[in-house]
Amino acid sequence: MTQKVPPLLLLGLLAGALLAPASPVRADSLDRAALVQELCGDAGAMGKAGATLVTTAAAGSAEDREWAAPLARAAIDRKLACDEAGAMLDEGGLDAVTRAPRAAAGTPRSPLLSLKNRPVFELADAAFALRGSPAVAQRTAALKTLERRPALIPEGLLEGAAAAESDAGLREQIDTLSQTAALNASDPAARIRAIGRVAENPSRRALTRISALTADPAYAANPDFRTAVDDATRRIERGIAIGDTLATLYNGLSFASILFMAAIGLAIIFGLMGVINLAQGELIMIGAYVTWLVQQGLRHAAPGLLDWYLVLAIPVAFLATAGIGIALETLLLRHLYKRPLMSLLATWAVSLFLVNIVRVVFGTQNMQFETPFYVSGGVPVIGDFIFTWNRMFAIAFAAVTLALTWLVVRKTPLGLNIRAVTQNRDMAACIGIPTRRVDMMAFGLGSGLAGLAGLALSPIYSVNPQMGQNFIIDSFMVVVLGGVGTIAGTVVAALGIGQINVLIEPLWGAVAAKVIVLLMIIAFLQWRPEGLFAVKGRRK
Amino acid sequence: MSRTSANLPFTLLIAVIVVAAGAMPALSGTSFELSRYLTNAIGQLAAFAVLAISLDLIWGYLGILSLGHGLFFAIGGYVMAMYLLKHSFVVTGTVPDFLQFMGWKEFPFYWAGFDVFPYAFAVAVAVTLLISGIFGYVSFRSRVGGVYFAIITQALVYVAMLLMFRNDTGFGGNNGMTGFSVLFGWPMGTSGMITALAVASLLALALVLVACRRLVGSRFGALMLATRDDETRLRTLGYETLRLKLIVWCLSALIAMLAGMLYVPQVGIINPRVLSPELSLEIAVWVAIGGRGHLVGAVIGALLVNAVKFWLSSAAPDIWPFILSGLIVLVVLVFPNGLMDLAKLRLTRPMGPRRMATELEEARP
Repeated sequence: MTQKVPPLLLLGLLAGALLAPASPVRADSLDRAALVQELCGDAGAMGKAGATLVTTAAAGSAEDREWAAPLARAAIDRKLACDEAGAMLDEGGLDAVTRAPRAAAGTPRSPLLSLKNRPVFELADAAFALRGSPAVAQRTAALKTLERRPALIPEGLLEGAAAAESDAGLREQIDTLSQTAALNASDPAARIRAIGRVAENPSRRALTRISALTADPAYAANPDFRTAVDDATRRIERGIAIGDTLATLYNGLSFASILFMAAIGLAIIFGLMGVINLAQGELIMIGAYVTWLVQQGLRHAAPGLLDWYLVLAIPVAFLATAGIGIALETLLLRHLYKRPLMSLLATWAVSLFLVNIVRVVFGTQNMQFETPFYVSGGVPVIGDFIFTWNRMFAIAFAAVTLALTWLVVRKTPLGLNIRAVTQNRDMAACIGIPTRRVDMMAFGLGSGLAGLAGLALSPIYSVNPQMGQNFIIDSFMVVVLGGVGTIAGTVVAALGIGQINVLIEPLWGAVAAKVIVLLMIIAFLQWRPEGLFAVKGRRK
Repeated sequence: MSRTSANLPFTLLIAVIVVAAGAMPALSGTSFELSRYLTNAIGQLAAFAVLAISLDLIWGYLGILSLGHGLFFAIGGYVMAMYLLKHSFVVTGTVPDFLQFMGWKEFPFYWAGFDVFPYAFAVAVAVTLLISGIFGYVSFRSRVGGVYFAIITQALVYVAMLLMFRNDTGFGGNNGMTGFSVLFGWPMGTSGMITALAVASLLALALVLVACRRLVGSRFGALMLATRDDETRLRTLGYETLRLKLIVWCLSALIAMLAGMLYVPQVGIINPRVLSPELSLEIAVWVAIGGRGHLVGAVIGALLVNAVKFWLSSAAPDIWPFILSGLIVLVVLVFPNGLMDLAKLRLTRPMGPRRMATELEEARP
């Protein structure tokens, strides 16, 4: 099925092989009169006519197909009336050959299809319908009929149908069937070519299809066939392995992106003030809820912009969570400046409050999010790995956040102050840096980043009042592992923990992944108690 | 100095506990008899008070905040539940729910011998010491402290919770373990048993209180306070603070384990929720509200918070989290030493025990 056989040659072959010598066929087109004559003949002649119809459906010219299509249907429905002048189609009273109206000559007789011939005619009918029917539903139904007997489908039919098909979903189904049909073709060379083509797109489905061929008689009998199957199996397995690895890395990368965004704020605040914000997870949750609110607002105010809510929510989510963070710092943490353990409890109280206030206001159910076009679907790459846009969105978002955070910390006066206070608070105060103001701004920055994390994960994870708790302990571990107040440490630790989690998960499960990550971190702290990229300084 | 200033409240508290423990069985049958619900609640409160003391010992007296003490509480609770189930199985032949749920024919091999209480108790002690010992050693050796230590212990208890939520571990999975029918050969759920458990919990509380009191009043206790206030100086003076911290840490874990063993027969169920980070954080809240660094404060804080929680969880369950968070903020901002500040305010004593100058040290890397 891989190569188009020229119709000329094909019909020439047909003339010799299929049609009896008594009914010569013009090499370049269908002998319509002879076909009709056969249709009115005995079971053997009708069988030949059926085969001709199938071949016409696969390789005939457009006019021939259009002409022959009603014949198959009429034969099945017994609407073909054979009389002395040839045959007539009952519908409209047309002559079967010329399609001109005429009266019946003599007593018409409707030939009955034998049990053996019936499937051939049904196949021909479905083949005509698939190629010529105007309605998608009819073409789909025709494809279903063809799927029942993939071995009988003539070469060229499905390719022709797929090329002309306008409906993408149906075209895909046709392609799938076309591969199956080719694998089950009678010509060994065609089968081997088909195997090669299936192996070009490795996936678990392709593997199932190819490995089913090892049970085929040809596998034992034909060494070429066996080699082809074995080769294809190897190629597909390699493709699947590569695809799975890429998929794992990709998932790990997207998980790491979320972790990074959750943890970078924590790390900055911890480095600066020695405070771990236990409400960071809830700020993520608030960010996601703000995104949802923006979506609902757009739905009412500007439905045309609804698709862009993820983008429009960026400043809103950042400012809302940054505002909460600044309020938290001003009202609570400022007074706990020298008591970090108490500030741990205080931020927990805030997290408790936020979870429950959201629960009271919005309920505990998952929030419904629209899926804009830029985060839906994906590109199949290799094997079963699909490069999905929603995860890509999170990754790209984290990359941009990383770049911006780096710019803020490295290139702005605020960042300079943050670094100065992180290194030595008292000295920074001495040279006139307003340390309390820096604390407040840094806390706002860190909280705003958590809100952005919530925005980025709303297309991937379910959004409910408890969602923050799923990330918070992992992001603590990122801070512990990465060290205090360094962006590079946070990036490396987030990548490491994200990847290790998804690498171990398929082997021993999600729980084991968490256990192992925790044990590794505890062991790691033996070696470097201050984290990966600790700022050099006196150890207390 | 701290001993004299807190002597009166301590004596009073012990007296109240002992009198309550004596009065409950004495009053049974009379018209002053407490309801079963109240008796049971008192017993549970006593178990929580023991748990609060265990955390106060390391947080209040050593300056190490653990946000994972639920882990040791759960070890005690789970071992007790295993004992109760195995014991019930041996006595009455009741097959535990979780075995039927998992479709298992018999107990996993590590359940062997759990019908003998001394063995179960020894296992609980061994497991607690093993986990607290190893974790404490590696943490204190690399001088992980302060906020770092707190969040690593929180991760520890969180991971343990995930582990216990699995059904194939043989510890009841997410349904936990319940359906205890026999304790030491006596049927559970009778009035007598409820009273007995409550009395036992109260007596255990009194015992733990007195023992801890003696410990913190001793020379060892002075070293603990010194470690809390300035560990570097103590090390410079030649004291081995690693061993000291490790001993107190393991002791604290054992007390928490004991609280778990007292708690489970009284509630009649254990499930992985006792391992949720929230419970462990709540213990710290009890201690903070009562006033850390005071054994009496920890007990009163645990009793007070849990009494309010018991009451509210039936009256208005939705507002409890708001009240709790409000309480925390209040304590943290206005009464840094918890109820002890209130007491001092009223009695107009000079600032009694040494001020908490502990935390600045810990979290400055």
